[in-house]
This record gives sequence, structure tokens and C-alpha cells, in this order.
Amino acid sequence: MQEDSLRTVVDTLSQVYSDKWSGVEADQGNSFIHFMYSNDLIFVVLGVTLIIWLVLLFFITKVDKKVTKLEDQLNSSTNHEA
Amino acid sequence: MKPWKYIVAIWMTAVVIGGILIKIPMIPILEQTARNIFFHVPMWMAMFSMFTVSFVYSIRYLNSPDLSFDIKAESAAKVGVVFGFCGLLTGSLWARFTWGTWWTFAEPKMNLAALAVMIYVAYFVLRSAFDDEEKRAKLAAVYNIFAVTTIPFLLYIVPRQLESLHPGAEGNPAFSEITAPELRYILYPAFIGFIALSFWIYDIVHRYQAVQHKADNL
Repeated sequence: MQEDSLRTVVDTLSQVYSDKWSGVEADQGNSFIHFMYSNDLIFVVLGVTLIIWLVLLFFITKVDKKVTKLEDQLNSSTNHEA
Repeated sequence: MKPWKYIVAIWMTAVVIGGILIKIPMIPILEQTARNIFFHVPMWMAMFSMFTVSFVYSIRYLNSPDLSFDIKAESAAKVGVVFGFCGLLTGSLWARFTWGTWWTFAEPKMNLAALAVMIYVAYFVLRSAFDDEEKRAKLAAVYNIFAVTTIPFLLYIVPRQLESLHPGAEGNPAFSEITAPELRYILYPAFIGFIALSFWIYDIVHRYQAVQHKADNL
């Protein structure tokens, strides 16, 4: 009984969404999508890695600039006191 | 931001793209994970560079007790430890899918690398034990000089004498004639890129520490 109802749920899901997964077969989409599917999906790995690297790079750059600003602030404030 | 940092940003982006897209020979068991060499090994190179920087500033501190040298030595050791942890974690993940285990105590390089990182963790424990700035700086500098001398033994000399699955054992260099030569086209630029990146991060950390030290003493 329990198994049956479980299978029903699974079947319902696969049936409801089945036509929406057809994109996985790479028979539709524009040339960018086709390119990403090529070569065993390695470009997807490249995309993920580049997103991580570029976000980290953006963050490092931001922190670097903030420290520079702090240095300037501190230097000017100590100069005022002197 | 200084111009060399923009070069590092572009260089490292090129290394990432090249490392993932370059055509590599397929070797059973290793398969695509051979690409890990471009990212796992440079972690250690970056760690060595940072520990060298830390060592140099520790000596300079003992020569002339200027607290800015101590700040630089501490910052470099910090960045070195971060890269060391990255090396351990990436190595462990790689080992799981090629050697079949996350960690093994039968593997000398793995365990000695972990020990090397622990020795530097102890450096921070030692630092935290002192309230007096000058005392802390002096003792940390002395400890650091002892710590750095263990690194070549733990990561090069001892592992090469022992049997191991890790490349660079039993008297062989880690990158030997059996390793595909085309990997070098990315590996060496990756060394340069990650070492430069470690210097960038070190630059930010020590400037932050210096600013904070200055702010604390206003």
C-alpha cells in the first residue's frame, strides 16, 4: 500500500515534468546552449569555476581598495593631530 | 590598486581557463583528475612562498625589533596556513577518487604535510599566549625560524625516502618523465599565478593588520 502510493507520487512527478526535461537531449536551444553541451559538458565546469574565481577576485579587489581607503583616512587623521 | 594586481587577475583567469580546457592524455584511474595538478600543487608552492616571507621577516625582526616586521611575519604565516589547508583538502578529495580513501596513515606525504600545517597552527597558539607585544613578537620570531626548518624535511626529504602512492616518493621527483610533458604548459604558469595571488592576499592582510595596530594605538 505504502509502496504503491510512493510509486504513484514518483510517476506523477516524472509524468508532469517529463516533457520539460527533453532539453537534456540537446536537440533544442540556441548555439550557446549547443556549445555548452559539447565536449562532455566541460564548459559547464569551466563556467562554474570561472564564476567562483571572478566573484572571489571581485571580493579581493574590493577589500584591497577598502584597506587603501582606511590607510589614507588614518594617515590624514594622524597628520592633523601632529 | 597597484598595476601588478591586475596582471595577476588576468593571469589567473587564463590559468583557470587553460587548466580546464587543455587537452590532456587520458590515464586510467586518473582520467580528468589529472587536471587537479594545476590547482593542488600550486597550493603548496604558495604556502612555501608565504612561509619564506614569514621567515625573512622573523629574522628581520630579531635584527631590528620593529613591530611592522612582526606584523608582516604573522600575516604571511596566516596566508601560508590558508593555502596549506587548501592543499590538504584538495589532496584529500583527490585521494578519495584515485586512491579510494579520504585519508590514510600509510601515506607519508599526506601526513607529513598535515604535520607541517600543524606546526604553523602552533605558531598562532604561541602568539596568543602573550599579552606583551614585544615579548610575543620576539618569541614568535624565534619559533618561526625553527618551524621553517622542518618544512623541507617534512615535504621533500623524508617523503622521498619512503614508499608512497604520492608522486615524489622513492627517490623520484614529483614531476617525472612519466608525467605528460604538456601538463607543464599550465602547471608552471599556475605556480607563478598562485604564488602571485598569495602575495596579493598577504599584501591586503598585512596592510589591514598594520592599520588596525595603528588604530589601536591612537
